Amino acid sequence: MRWRIATADKLNWRRFGEEIVVRSEHTGSTHHLDSLAAELLHTLLTAEAALSADELAVRLAGEQEPPPELSPSIEATLLEFRRLGIAEPSD
Amino acid sequence: MRLRTGPIVTRIRSELPAIAQALGTVYREHIIEAPDTFADFHVRVAHPAGLRRWLKPQVVFEFDGAPPFLPLPAEQAFAILEWGLNWCISANCHHYLVIHAAVVERSGRALLLPAPPGSGKSTLCAGLVNRDWRLLSDELALLDPLSGSVVPLARPVSLKNASIEVIRRFAPGAVLSATVHDTLKGSVAHMKPPGEAVRRALEPARPRWVVMPRYQAGAAAQLRPLSRGSAFMQLAESAFNYPVFGRQGFELLASTVEACDCYEFTYGELESAVGILAELAAEK
Repeated sequence: MRWRIATADKLNWRRFGEEIVVRSEHTGSTHHLDSLAAELLHTLLTAEAALSADELAVRLAGEQEPPPELSPSIEATLLEFRRLGIAEPSD
Repeated sequence: MRLRTGPIVTRIRSELPAIAQALGTVYREHIIEAPDTFADFHVRVAHPAGLRRWLKPQVVFEFDGAPPFLPLPAEQAFAILEWGLNWCISANCHHYLVIHAAVVERSGRALLLPAPPGSGKSTLCAGLVNRDWRLLSDELALLDPLSGSVVPLARPVSLKNASIEVIRRFAPGAVLSATVHDTLKGSVAHMKPPGEAVRRALEPARPRWVVMPRYQAGAAAQLRPLSRGSAFMQLAESAFNYPVFGRQGFELLASTVEACDCYEFTYGELESAVGILAELAAEK
């Protein structure tokens, strides 16, 4: 399953170092993301296309091999993003 | 009378002597505008009709002729006026982002003190404005979305319970209204704002610090850095009309915290608390 930002033009966001605050114009809710969630959101916001959890893990790990627990953590975070109306499956 | 408090003019009507006396005490340096001046709000404090005018007398606050909340005992006439004026702003001033916060200024830079009731925000605010900080507001920070600055109100500072005596000792020259007991908030008194704050009530200030105060008896005054993300969320939660502003409100708060150093602040004694914040202001 690949993921993308849900209606990117309806997300307001601002990055403060390792944190991101994001507001969904669709739901009106505002959220505070740090560490993994912030990096994940930023990666999705700047990605050219939808990405799978494994592809996101590779990007977040950079030059290092992604640890095995990273993809499941990303999947869980993506599901939470879906619940919050921030991200959605593209397929 | 048409009372000016910063950018806001309120037409206040009342036949109650207690209102006139309190206004003459804590608003005595404020500008009273001419009768034909446009008023943003029209309010009245009066006895309600019927038996409650005489039997356990009550007072009611009216906004445009209608009471937005229940009557209170007559002794609380001035308190209901002040609470009513707060309600007028928080419920209607949607050309500002209205944040539940005290705000003071020094050297053109504003210190925002967002905090829930009981945090010691107003006590700290009263202490600061008696030690070289200018009062902008003790309760409602009006953030202008066009300029990003905080617009002053310079209204009396509301003190509760033990804080009343704390401020009497801390600032013996401060002018306080009569203390009213047995309100929903306990004992309440209002401190007259310093004259300079009133004279400069049309001078906005750019936010430079966001400090979340928390009074804790016996605690040493301590500032702890707060992440900008956390500060943003607390400001958003403290803003009465953040949902009304939508994206503009989000961008405004984001720009505000970006420009500020943010802290949590625990204090147990007012003099040292004021000293710590003076050092903060002197650093940059």
